[in-house]
Amino acid sequence: MAPATTVIRVGTAEAAGVGVTRGELRVGDTPDGEAVTIPVAIVRGAGEGPVLWINGCVHGDEFCGAFIIHEMLRTLDATSLSGVVVALPILNITASQRGQRMSPFATFGFGDLNRCFPGNPGGAFTDQMAHAIYSPLRQYADYFIDFHTALTPDTRWALFANAPGDVGRKSEGIARAFGLKSTLPAPMDILGGSSMIAAARDGIPSLIVEMGGIGPAFERETVLEGAERLRNVMRHLGMLAEKPTEHGPLTYFSNFAWVNATRGGLFERAVQCGERVDKGTLVGRYIGAHGDIVEEVKSPHAGIVLAINPGPAMATGDVLVHIGLDPRDT
Amino acid sequence: MATLRIGTAVLDGTGIARGYLKVGDMPDGRPMQIPVLLAQGARPGPTLWIHGCVHGNEACGAFVVHRLMRELDTATLSGTIVALPILNITAFRSKARMSPFEGFSGGDLNRAFPGKADGTLTEQMAHAIYTELKAHAGYLVDLHTAMTADVRWALFPNAPGEVGQKSESMARAFGFNSTLPAPIDILAGSAMMVAARDGIPGLIVEAGGKGPAFTAALVSDVVERLRNVMRQIGMLTGTVAQHGPLTYFSNFAWVRAVQGGLFQRAVQCGERLKAGTVLGHYYDLWGQPTGEALSPQAGVVLAIHPGPIMASGETLVHIGLDPREV
Repeated sequence: MAPATTVIRVGTAEAAGVGVTRGELRVGDTPDGEAVTIPVAIVRGAGEGPVLWINGCVHGDEFCGAFIIHEMLRTLDATSLSGVVVALPILNITASQRGQRMSPFATFGFGDLNRCFPGNPGGAFTDQMAHAIYSPLRQYADYFIDFHTALTPDTRWALFANAPGDVGRKSEGIARAFGLKSTLPAPMDILGGSSMIAAARDGIPSLIVEMGGIGPAFERETVLEGAERLRNVMRHLGMLAEKPTEHGPLTYFSNFAWVNATRGGLFERAVQCGERVDKGTLVGRYIGAHGDIVEEVKSPHAGIVLAINPGPAMATGDVLVHIGLDPRDT
Repeated sequence: MATLRIGTAVLDGTGIARGYLKVGDMPDGRPMQIPVLLAQGARPGPTLWIHGCVHGNEACGAFVVHRLMRELDTATLSGTIVALPILNITAFRSKARMSPFEGFSGGDLNRAFPGKADGTLTEQMAHAIYTELKAHAGYLVDLHTAMTADVRWALFPNAPGEVGQKSESMARAFGFNSTLPAPIDILAGSAMMVAARDGIPGLIVEAGGKGPAFTAALVSDVVERLRNVMRQIGMLTGTVAQHGPLTYFSNFAWVRAVQGGLFQRAVQCGERLKAGTVLGHYYDLWGQPTGEALSPQAGVVLAIHPGPIMASGETLVHIGLDPREV
């Protein structure tokens, strides 16, 4: 918790008193020597409370997160807030400008910003970005939420750092307040280099949210729902005065399985997000250039569909389906 | 029955044949070839030419062609179908509108017809395709996809005489409410307009969304409407479904964004607009509103930019002008 007298400084955004401060954080340079800067908004409340740090667009084309953060910020009144919100809605700005996952300046296999945390000030472009972002995060954050977007508009799941002790318990608390039915208590040995796992190791309770679809699958309903769930986390943390909504039992998983396509072609999905699949359930069909159904793809695992490739075209190695394993209501 | 041959697809009688039409060469010297399906019915009738993916990332059309052909029974078909589900194959593989091998001059295949045997890649592709189209097609359907999943409109060449009349009857049998009798001087270089000048009635269908906005429900709907077109032109038996009055337009307006930023649309396809109707909202990187996009014209929304991001010059909205029920 930041004492009321401390100035919170992230890039050019310096929050000394109650209200909203906007600025930019420099995360690197472009090839023509211009600074690469990302937006920072700090909302400092009238009351004492924790510092909630929120990131979006760690993958450049995952814009639902930016819109959810923006929607929440626009409806937030600093005079009724206890604590501080630090929001970085668009981390991977050079990727976002192109509507793609990774930065065009990323080099040699270091492109996934969410595998580069805590970063390296002498590393590749993406390592240096991660370092610039993670240094103030570690300094200020009491809680951390990282917003992602998946393939289709019906994507709705979350994962929290299942760390030992207090960090894990508090992470679970914010996951339950966010309340997406499909939730993974993430084993601490997966997603190495993600900001969530790096933060949890540094003692910061953390949550990743996966909501909505990329590109033309973007829908406003996802934004409104995500912003309301985010407010509920803030109620749970005592940052907003209202009583938090109880979402009831969630479906927990033991882990997830990424299933990659082992053939290519035109593709039609046969399942929706949140649907139960058994080993052998039809998840989609590959169609050849002449329209023949060349393969019916079966799920290699039992579980719940977390994300599914929407088609219409797939090359070998694309993510076919993302499955939550061993679902159980808790 | 005469032998039907397009590329390597050859058909001597009733049935379905598959093959490839060569439209150019790849940089590694392998042929650039596109899939062709031929279907010949048990009875004589017209030849319907259907193609999709003239723009590589407009994949709904390919799925429509595929489903139509999978579900086709040639024993009950009168006439012939020539189907090319993926015209711009190298663009399709890149999930892009235009071919990555097109060097200069834009690369919009639907502005390159009738093509040129020694022109740019896209012109050579157009030439290879259009030569066969002109030789075989009795009717043409060109399937496009727009930006969002709710896109549903069509246009036919409003040509003088029989070509225009037959094109209109196809459009009415297809039956999308938003339909443009396209003035013959627009869309120069499109397959539809070039074919109309060569006496071939045609129809362009704009249905469904690109990339992750792809939905299977759209495919089934368009396939059923195409079957109704085939009933109308005597290729399938059965009563032609009547779709009732359609909304016709005098023309369309492409409206470009003169502002960039994060963007959320405020209208749906098919919605009526006045001049000044709010089309969507722009935001800066911090989520603060930076402007509203207003419609410069009255009409009906044919297509609208889905966001989430927009650069200046992108297509903001596509408006059907002077709507009237006909």
